[in-house]
Amino acid sequence: MKRLYLLFSLVLMLACGANTPDRNTQQSTNDEFTGTSASEFTLPQISDDLVANIMQSIPSPIETSFLIKGIGAPYNVSNLNDPNLVTNYNTNYSQALNLGVYSTDLGFANLYDKNQDVLNYLNAVKKLADNLGIGQYFDYKTIKELASSSGNVEQLLQLTQQNLEKIHNHLNEQKRESLTILILTGGWVEALYLTTLVHQKSNNKELKERIGEQKIALEQILTILDVYKTKPNFATLIADLKELNKIYSKVQIKTTVGKPTQKVVNGEIITEDNTVSTVIIQDADVQAITSMVKSIRNKIIKS
Amino acid sequence: MRNALTKTAALLPFLFFSISVFAQCDAEGYSQKALKALQQGYTFVKSYKIDGKNGVRKNIEYTCVFSKDTNYMLRIEGKDGGSKGIVATLLDNQRQELTTNNLNGKSYPGWTYRCRSTGIYYILFSFKESESYCGAAVLGFKR
Repeated sequence: MKRLYLLFSLVLMLACGANTPDRNTQQSTNDEFTGTSASEFTLPQISDDLVANIMQSIPSPIETSFLIKGIGAPYNVSNLNDPNLVTNYNTNYSQALNLGVYSTDLGFANLYDKNQDVLNYLNAVKKLADNLGIGQYFDYKTIKELASSSGNVEQLLQLTQQNLEKIHNHLNEQKRESLTILILTGGWVEALYLTTLVHQKSNNKELKERIGEQKIALEQILTILDVYKTKPNFATLIADLKELNKIYSKVQIKTTVGKPTQKVVNGEIITEDNTVSTVIIQDADVQAITSMVKSIRNKIIKS
Repeated sequence: MRNALTKTAALLPFLFFSISVFAQCDAEGYSQKALKALQQGYTFVKSYKIDGKNGVRKNIEYTCVFSKDTNYMLRIEGKDGGSKGIVATLLDNQRQELTTNNLNGKSYPGWTYRCRSTGIYYILFSFKESESYCGAAVLGFKR
Protein backbone atom coordinates (compact mmCIF):
# COMPACT_ATOMS: atom_id res chain seq x y z
CA MET A 1 0.00 0.00 0.00
CA LYS A 2 2.92 2.27 0.75
CA ARG A 3 4.13 1.63 -2.80
CA LEU A 4 0.71 2.48 -4.16
CA TYR A 5 0.74 5.72 -2.23
CA LEU A 6 4.22 6.57 -3.54
CA LEU A 7 3.11 5.78 -7.08
CA PHE A 8 0.14 8.12 -6.76
CA SER A 9 2.37 10.82 -5.34
CA LEU A 10 4.75 10.43 -8.28
CA VAL A 11 1.91 10.62 -10.82
CA LEU A 12 0.62 13.69 -9.03
CA MET A 13 4.00 15.41 -9.24
CA LEU A 14 4.27 14.59 -12.93
CA ALA A 15 0.78 15.89 -13.57
CA CYS A 16 1.59 19.15 -11.82
CA GLY A 17 4.81 19.42 -13.79
CA ALA A 18 2.92 19.32 -17.07
CA ASN A 19 2.34 23.04 -16.82
CA THR A 20 5.96 23.93 -16.13
CA PRO A 21 6.80 26.75 -18.54
CA ASP A 22 8.74 25.35 -21.47
CA ARG A 23 11.88 27.40 -21.85
CA ASN A 24 12.34 26.11 -25.35
CA THR A 25 8.96 27.10 -26.66
CA GLN A 26 8.85 29.19 -29.80
CA GLN A 27 6.46 31.59 -28.21
CA SER A 28 7.23 34.80 -26.47
CA THR A 29 4.93 37.14 -24.67
CA ASN A 30 4.55 40.52 -26.29
CA ASP A 31 6.58 42.33 -23.70
CA GLU A 32 9.62 40.17 -24.26
CA PHE A 33 10.63 41.32 -27.70
CA THR A 34 12.92 44.27 -27.48
CA GLY A 35 13.73 44.75 -31.13
CA THR A 36 17.29 43.51 -30.78
CA SER A 37 19.46 44.19 -33.78
CA ALA A 38 22.93 43.18 -34.89
CA SER A 39 24.30 46.47 -33.69
CA GLU A 40 23.37 45.64 -30.10
CA PHE A 41 26.05 43.06 -29.52
CA THR A 42 26.73 44.33 -26.03
CA LEU A 43 23.73 42.38 -24.73
CA PRO A 44 25.25 39.78 -22.41
CA GLN A 45 22.46 37.27 -22.80
CA ILE A 46 19.07 37.03 -24.40
CA SER A 47 16.34 34.71 -23.29
CA ASP A 48 15.73 31.32 -24.87
CA ASP A 49 12.26 32.50 -25.89
CA LEU A 50 13.67 35.51 -27.67
CA VAL A 51 16.30 33.39 -29.43
CA ALA A 52 13.56 31.01 -30.58
CA ASN A 53 11.34 33.89 -31.70
CA ILE A 54 14.06 35.56 -33.77
CA MET A 55 15.11 32.23 -35.28
CA GLN A 56 11.53 31.46 -36.13
CA SER A 57 11.18 34.84 -37.85
CA ILE A 58 14.05 34.30 -40.30
CA PRO A 59 12.37 34.13 -43.70
CA SER A 60 12.16 30.79 -45.44
CA PRO A 61 14.45 30.43 -48.50
CA ILE A 62 11.50 28.97 -50.38
CA GLU A 63 10.07 32.48 -50.83
CA THR A 64 13.26 33.53 -52.62
CA SER A 65 13.20 30.37 -54.74
CA PHE A 66 9.67 31.27 -55.88
CA LEU A 67 10.87 34.75 -56.82
CA ILE A 68 13.75 33.32 -58.87
CA LYS A 69 11.45 30.96 -60.71
CA GLY A 70 8.85 33.70 -61.08
CA ILE A 71 11.16 35.93 -63.10
CA GLY A 72 11.63 33.07 -65.56
CA ALA A 73 15.16 32.06 -64.58
CA PRO A 74 16.06 28.63 -65.95
CA TYR A 75 16.98 25.80 -63.60
CA ASN A 76 20.69 25.16 -63.44
CA VAL A 77 21.81 22.32 -61.19
CA SER A 78 25.43 23.43 -61.40
CA ASN A 79 24.46 26.51 -59.38
CA LEU A 80 23.50 24.25 -56.47
CA ASN A 81 25.84 22.46 -54.07
CA ASP A 82 26.97 19.04 -55.30
CA PRO A 83 25.04 16.42 -53.29
CA ASN A 84 28.03 14.07 -53.54
CA LEU A 85 29.99 16.40 -51.26
CA VAL A 86 27.78 15.26 -48.38
CA THR A 87 30.37 12.71 -47.20
CA ASN A 88 32.90 15.52 -46.71
CA TYR A 89 30.93 17.09 -43.88
CA ASN A 90 32.19 15.45 -40.71
CA THR A 91 31.59 17.93 -37.92
CA ASN A 92 28.28 19.03 -36.42
CA TYR A 93 29.14 22.55 -37.54
CA SER A 94 29.64 21.67 -41.22
CA GLN A 95 26.77 19.19 -41.18
CA ALA A 96 24.29 21.72 -39.82
CA LEU A 97 25.38 24.51 -42.18
CA ASN A 98 25.23 22.22 -45.19
CA LEU A 99 21.93 20.73 -44.08
CA GLY A 100 20.66 24.28 -44.53
CA VAL A 101 22.38 24.61 -47.91
CA TYR A 102 20.99 21.31 -49.18
CA SER A 103 17.52 22.11 -47.83
CA THR A 104 17.43 25.27 -49.95
CA ASP A 105 18.69 23.27 -52.94
CA LEU A 106 16.06 20.62 -52.27
CA GLY A 107 13.32 23.27 -52.24
CA PHE A 108 14.73 24.77 -55.44
CA ALA A 109 14.80 21.41 -57.24
CA ASN A 110 11.29 20.70 -55.90
CA LEU A 111 9.97 23.95 -57.29
CA TYR A 112 11.34 23.21 -60.76
CA ASP A 113 9.95 19.65 -60.54
CA LYS A 114 13.40 18.09 -61.15
CA ASN A 115 12.71 14.69 -59.70
CA GLN A 116 16.14 13.10 -59.93
CA ASP A 117 17.77 16.14 -58.34
CA VAL A 118 15.08 16.16 -55.64
CA LEU A 119 15.99 12.57 -54.80
CA ASN A 120 19.72 13.39 -54.76
CA TYR A 121 19.23 16.36 -52.45
CA LEU A 122 16.78 14.40 -50.35
CA ASN A 123 19.46 11.75 -49.78
CA ALA A 124 21.98 14.42 -48.84
CA VAL A 125 19.53 16.05 -46.41
CA LYS A 126 18.63 12.68 -44.90
CA LYS A 127 22.27 11.73 -44.41
CA LEU A 128 23.12 14.98 -42.65
CA ALA A 129 19.95 14.87 -40.56
CA ASP A 130 20.81 11.28 -39.51
CA ASN A 131 24.35 12.30 -38.62
CA LEU A 132 22.97 15.08 -36.44
CA GLY A 133 20.57 12.63 -34.76
CA ILE A 134 17.43 14.29 -36.15
CA GLY A 135 16.77 12.03 -39.14
CA GLN A 136 13.67 10.62 -37.48
CA TYR A 137 11.91 13.97 -37.91
CA PHE A 138 12.37 13.89 -41.67
CA ASP A 139 9.70 11.86 -43.44
CA TYR A 140 12.14 10.56 -46.03
CA LYS A 141 9.89 7.74 -47.23
CA THR A 142 6.86 9.91 -48.10
CA ILE A 143 8.95 12.66 -49.69
CA LYS A 144 10.80 10.06 -51.74
CA GLU A 145 7.52 8.54 -52.91
CA LEU A 146 6.18 11.96 -53.92
CA ALA A 147 9.44 12.85 -55.67
CA SER A 148 9.43 9.59 -57.63
CA SER A 149 6.66 10.88 -59.86
CA SER A 150 6.16 14.34 -61.30
CA GLY A 151 3.26 16.68 -60.65
CA ASN A 152 3.49 16.64 -56.85
CA VAL A 153 5.30 19.95 -56.49
CA GLU A 154 2.86 21.53 -54.02
CA GLN A 155 2.71 18.45 -51.78
CA LEU A 156 6.48 18.07 -51.92
CA LEU A 157 7.10 21.68 -50.99
CA GLN A 158 4.61 21.50 -48.15
CA LEU A 159 5.98 18.30 -46.70
CA THR A 160 9.59 19.43 -47.03
CA GLN A 161 8.81 22.74 -45.31
CA GLN A 162 6.91 20.95 -42.54
CA ASN A 163 9.76 18.50 -41.99
CA LEU A 164 12.34 21.27 -41.79
CA GLU A 165 10.17 23.06 -39.27
CA LYS A 166 9.94 19.85 -37.23
CA ILE A 167 13.73 19.55 -37.27
CA HIS A 168 14.11 23.12 -36.01
CA ASN A 169 11.51 22.57 -33.28
CA HIS A 170 13.07 19.35 -32.08
CA LEU A 171 16.57 20.80 -32.04
CA ASN A 172 15.26 23.66 -29.94
CA GLU A 173 13.48 21.26 -27.59
CA GLN A 174 16.74 19.35 -27.21
CA LYS A 175 18.48 22.64 -26.38
CA ARG A 176 20.57 22.39 -29.54
CA GLU A 177 19.54 25.80 -30.85
CA SER A 178 23.09 26.50 -32.02
CA LEU A 179 22.55 23.84 -34.70
CA THR A 180 19.22 25.38 -35.69
CA ILE A 181 20.82 28.75 -36.33
CA LEU A 182 23.55 27.07 -38.40
CA ILE A 183 20.91 25.30 -40.51
CA LEU A 184 19.03 28.58 -40.98
CA THR A 185 22.25 30.43 -41.82
CA GLY A 186 23.30 27.81 -44.38
CA GLY A 187 19.87 27.94 -45.99
CA TRP A 188 19.84 31.71 -46.06
CA VAL A 189 23.36 32.00 -47.52
CA GLU A 190 22.49 29.49 -50.27
CA ALA A 191 19.29 31.36 -51.18
CA LEU A 192 21.13 34.69 -51.31
CA TYR A 193 23.93 33.10 -53.35
CA LEU A 194 21.42 31.74 -55.89
CA THR A 195 19.70 35.13 -56.06
CA THR A 196 22.99 36.92 -56.78
CA LEU A 197 23.91 34.36 -59.46
CA VAL A 198 20.61 34.79 -61.27
CA HIS A 199 20.78 38.56 -60.84
CA GLN A 200 24.24 38.67 -62.43
CA LYS A 201 22.79 37.12 -65.57
CA SER A 202 19.38 38.77 -65.62
CA ASN A 203 20.01 42.17 -64.03
CA ASN A 204 16.43 41.84 -62.78
CA LYS A 205 15.18 44.77 -60.69
CA GLU A 206 13.10 42.60 -58.34
CA LEU A 207 16.06 40.37 -57.58
CA LYS A 208 18.24 43.41 -56.94
CA GLU A 209 15.68 44.65 -54.46
CA ARG A 210 15.43 41.20 -52.84
CA ILE A 211 19.22 41.15 -52.42
CA GLY A 212 19.00 44.51 -50.64
CA GLU A 213 16.11 43.37 -48.44
CA GLN A 214 18.29 40.61 -47.00
CA LYS A 215 19.75 43.28 -44.76
CA ILE A 216 16.88 42.54 -42.35
CA ALA A 217 17.46 38.78 -42.24
CA LEU A 218 21.23 39.22 -41.89
CA GLU A 219 20.76 41.38 -38.81
CA GLN A 220 18.52 38.73 -37.27
CA ILE A 221 21.00 35.96 -38.07
CA LEU A 222 23.92 37.91 -36.60
CA THR A 223 21.95 38.63 -33.45
CA ILE A 224 21.42 34.92 -32.85
CA LEU A 225 24.87 33.75 -33.95
CA ASP A 226 26.36 36.13 -31.44
CA VAL A 227 24.66 34.22 -28.63
CA TYR A 228 26.73 31.19 -29.59
CA LYS A 229 29.96 33.02 -30.47
CA THR A 230 32.06 30.90 -28.10
CA LYS A 231 31.12 27.66 -29.85
CA PRO A 232 33.74 26.12 -32.18
CA ASN A 233 33.95 27.73 -35.64
CA PHE A 234 31.27 30.31 -34.91
CA ALA A 235 33.77 33.18 -34.65
CA THR A 236 34.90 32.78 -38.28
CA LEU A 237 31.35 32.58 -39.58
CA ILE A 238 30.33 35.63 -37.53
CA ALA A 239 33.37 37.59 -38.76
CA ASP A 240 32.50 36.77 -42.38
CA LEU A 241 28.87 37.74 -41.95
CA LYS A 242 29.87 40.95 -40.18
CA GLU A 243 31.96 41.85 -43.23
CA LEU A 244 28.87 41.25 -45.33
CA ASN A 245 26.88 43.38 -42.90
CA LYS A 246 29.33 46.24 -43.45
CA ILE A 247 28.36 46.27 -47.12
CA TYR A 248 24.71 46.03 -46.15
CA SER A 249 25.06 49.09 -43.92
CA LYS A 250 25.07 51.12 -47.16
CA VAL A 251 21.70 49.66 -48.15
CA GLN A 252 18.65 51.67 -47.17
CA ILE A 253 15.09 50.48 -46.93
CA LYS A 254 12.72 53.43 -47.08
CA THR A 255 9.04 53.17 -46.32
CA THR A 256 6.19 55.45 -47.24
CA VAL A 257 3.47 54.88 -44.71
CA GLY A 258 -0.13 54.46 -45.79
CA LYS A 259 -3.23 53.14 -44.06
CA PRO A 260 -4.23 49.57 -44.88
CA THR A 261 -7.58 48.92 -46.51
CA GLN A 262 -9.68 45.98 -45.49
CA LYS A 263 -12.57 44.23 -47.19
CA VAL A 264 -14.45 40.98 -46.88
CA VAL A 265 -14.69 38.98 -50.08
CA ASN A 266 -16.52 35.63 -50.05
CA GLY A 267 -16.12 35.34 -46.29
CA GLU A 268 -12.42 36.10 -46.49
CA ILE A 269 -10.78 39.13 -44.89
CA ILE A 270 -8.44 40.69 -47.43
CA THR A 271 -6.19 43.51 -46.33
CA GLU A 272 -4.25 45.61 -48.77
CA ASP A 273 -1.08 47.17 -47.43
CA ASN A 274 -0.69 50.79 -48.45
CA THR A 275 2.70 51.21 -46.83
CA VAL A 276 5.29 50.83 -49.56
CA SER A 277 8.96 50.05 -49.10
CA THR A 278 11.75 50.89 -51.50
CA VAL A 279 15.25 49.49 -51.37
CA ILE A 280 18.05 51.86 -52.18
CA ILE A 281 21.11 49.89 -53.22
CA GLN A 282 23.94 50.83 -55.55
CA ASP A 283 25.10 48.46 -58.29
CA ALA A 284 28.59 48.49 -56.77
CA ASP A 285 27.13 47.27 -53.47
CA VAL A 286 25.22 44.49 -55.23
CA GLN A 287 28.53 43.44 -56.80
CA ALA A 288 30.29 43.56 -53.44
CA ILE A 289 27.51 41.49 -51.84
CA THR A 290 27.63 39.00 -54.73
CA SER A 291 31.35 38.53 -54.31
CA MET A 292 31.24 38.30 -50.51
CA VAL A 293 28.34 35.83 -50.48
CA LYS A 294 30.15 33.63 -52.99
CA SER A 295 33.19 33.58 -50.73
CA ILE A 296 31.17 32.76 -47.59
CA ARG A 297 29.20 30.07 -49.41
CA ASN A 298 32.42 28.50 -50.73
CA LYS A 299 33.80 28.31 -47.22
CA ILE A 300 30.59 26.63 -46.05
CA ILE A 301 30.42 23.99 -48.77
CA LYS A 302 34.13 23.23 -48.50
CA SER A 303 34.11 23.06 -44.71
CA MET B 1 -3.17 0.95 5.97
CA ARG B 2 -6.43 2.82 6.40
CA ASN B 3 -4.42 6.01 6.88
CA ALA B 4 -2.60 5.51 3.57
CA LEU B 5 -5.85 4.78 1.77
CA THR B 6 -7.44 7.93 3.20
CA LYS B 7 -4.44 10.01 2.05
CA THR B 8 -4.58 8.51 -1.43
CA ALA B 9 -8.31 9.08 -1.70
CA ALA B 10 -7.83 12.67 -0.60
CA LEU B 11 -5.22 13.20 -3.28
CA LEU B 12 -7.25 11.69 -6.11
CA PRO B 13 -9.50 14.69 -6.87
CA PHE B 14 -6.43 16.95 -6.93
CA LEU B 15 -4.68 14.50 -9.22
CA PHE B 16 -7.49 14.49 -11.77
CA PHE B 17 -7.92 18.25 -11.43
CA SER B 18 -4.22 18.71 -12.21
CA ILE B 19 -4.37 16.44 -15.23
CA SER B 20 -7.46 18.11 -16.68
CA VAL B 21 -6.50 21.71 -15.92
CA PHE B 22 -2.91 21.37 -17.06
CA ALA B 23 -3.67 19.16 -20.04
CA GLN B 24 -1.23 19.96 -22.76
CA CYS B 25 -2.35 21.67 -25.94
CA ASP B 26 -1.88 19.45 -28.99
CA ALA B 27 -1.01 22.27 -31.36
CA GLU B 28 0.44 19.86 -33.92
CA GLY B 29 -2.99 18.39 -34.65
CA TYR B 30 -4.59 21.82 -35.09
CA SER B 31 -1.72 22.88 -37.28
CA GLN B 32 -2.51 19.99 -39.64
CA LYS B 33 -6.17 21.06 -39.73
CA ALA B 34 -5.24 24.67 -40.42
CA LEU B 35 -2.94 23.55 -43.22
CA LYS B 36 -5.88 21.92 -44.97
CA ALA B 37 -7.73 25.24 -44.81
CA LEU B 38 -4.98 27.09 -46.71
CA GLN B 39 -6.35 28.05 -50.09
CA GLN B 40 -4.93 26.44 -53.20
CA GLY B 41 -1.99 28.32 -54.64
CA TYR B 42 -0.62 29.23 -51.24
CA THR B 43 2.60 27.56 -50.16
CA PHE B 44 2.99 26.66 -46.51
CA VAL B 45 5.76 28.63 -44.89
CA LYS B 46 5.38 28.48 -41.10
CA SER B 47 3.15 27.16 -38.38
CA TYR B 48 2.44 28.83 -35.06
CA LYS B 49 1.57 27.11 -31.81
CA ILE B 50 -1.17 28.92 -29.87
CA ASP B 51 -1.02 27.61 -26.33
CA GLY B 52 -2.56 29.97 -23.81
CA LYS B 53 -1.69 27.56 -20.99
CA ASN B 54 -5.34 27.32 -19.96
CA GLY B 55 -5.72 31.08 -19.82
CA VAL B 56 -2.55 31.84 -17.90
CA ARG B 57 -0.95 33.27 -21.02
CA LYS B 58 -3.07 36.07 -22.46
CA ASN B 59 -1.02 36.94 -25.55
CA ILE B 60 1.29 34.91 -27.71
CA GLU B 61 3.36 36.81 -30.19
CA TYR B 62 5.52 35.79 -33.09
CA THR B 63 7.85 37.93 -35.15
CA CYS B 64 8.00 37.44 -38.90
CA VAL B 65 9.53 39.03 -41.95
CA PHE B 66 7.16 39.68 -44.83
CA SER B 67 8.32 40.48 -48.36
CA LYS B 68 6.77 43.08 -50.60
CA ASP B 69 4.57 42.04 -53.50
CA THR B 70 3.66 38.84 -51.70
CA ASN B 71 0.26 37.71 -50.43
CA TYR B 72 0.22 36.03 -47.03
CA MET B 73 -2.65 33.92 -45.80
CA LEU B 74 -3.14 32.92 -42.17
CA ARG B 75 -5.45 30.10 -41.16
CA ILE B 76 -6.42 29.31 -37.57
CA GLU B 77 -7.76 26.12 -36.01
CA GLY B 78 -8.44 25.68 -32.33
CA LYS B 79 -9.82 23.29 -29.78
CA ASP B 80 -13.02 25.35 -29.52
CA GLY B 81 -13.69 24.63 -33.21
CA GLY B 82 -12.32 26.59 -36.17
CA SER B 83 -10.99 29.99 -35.18
CA LYS B 84 -13.51 30.35 -32.33
CA GLY B 85 -12.00 32.02 -29.29
CA ILE B 86 -8.72 32.93 -31.03
CA VAL B 87 -7.91 36.38 -32.35
CA ALA B 88 -4.94 36.79 -34.70
CA THR B 89 -3.81 40.37 -35.21
CA LEU B 90 -1.10 41.47 -37.61
CA LEU B 91 0.97 44.43 -36.45
CA ASP B 92 3.59 46.42 -38.33
CA ASN B 93 7.02 47.23 -36.90
CA GLN B 94 5.54 50.30 -35.18
CA ARG B 95 3.02 47.95 -33.58
CA GLN B 96 0.13 49.46 -35.52
CA GLU B 97 -2.68 47.05 -36.26
CA LEU B 98 -2.90 46.08 -39.91
CA THR B 99 -5.48 43.33 -39.90
CA THR B 100 -7.29 40.88 -37.65
CA ASN B 101 -9.54 37.86 -38.04
CA ASN B 102 -12.02 39.39 -35.60
CA LEU B 103 -13.92 41.98 -37.58
CA ASN B 104 -17.00 43.76 -36.24
CA GLY B 105 -17.42 41.11 -33.59
CA LYS B 106 -17.32 38.25 -36.07
CA SER B 107 -14.61 35.64 -36.06
CA TYR B 108 -13.16 34.71 -39.45
CA PRO B 109 -10.98 31.65 -40.15
CA GLY B 110 -7.97 33.88 -40.76
CA TRP B 111 -6.90 36.70 -43.05
CA THR B 112 -5.11 37.45 -46.28
CA TYR B 113 -2.57 40.25 -46.31
CA ARG B 114 -1.22 41.80 -49.49
CA CYS B 115 2.20 43.03 -48.46
CA ARG B 116 3.83 45.96 -50.23
CA SER B 117 6.52 46.70 -47.71
CA THR B 118 9.33 44.34 -46.77
CA GLY B 119 10.02 44.36 -43.07
CA ILE B 120 9.41 42.97 -39.64
CA TYR B 121 5.83 42.26 -38.64
CA TYR B 122 4.26 40.73 -35.56
CA ILE B 123 1.45 38.19 -35.38
CA LEU B 124 -0.27 38.56 -32.03
CA PHE B 125 -2.58 35.79 -30.88
CA SER B 126 -5.01 36.55 -28.09
CA PHE B 127 -8.17 34.91 -26.78
CA LYS B 128 -11.77 36.08 -26.78
CA GLU B 129 -14.28 34.00 -24.87
CA SER B 130 -12.10 30.97 -25.35
CA GLU B 131 -12.79 27.78 -23.46
CA SER B 132 -9.65 25.90 -24.36
CA TYR B 133 -6.97 28.56 -25.03
CA CYS B 134 -5.47 26.10 -27.45
CA GLY B 135 -4.91 25.96 -31.19
CA ALA B 136 -2.52 26.58 -34.03
CA ALA B 137 -2.20 28.71 -37.13
CA VAL B 138 -0.38 28.30 -40.38
CA LEU B 139 0.98 30.92 -42.73
CA GLY B 140 1.13 30.46 -46.46
CA PHE B 141 2.40 32.75 -49.18
CA LYS B 142 1.67 33.39 -52.83
CA ARG B 143 3.50 35.77 -55.13
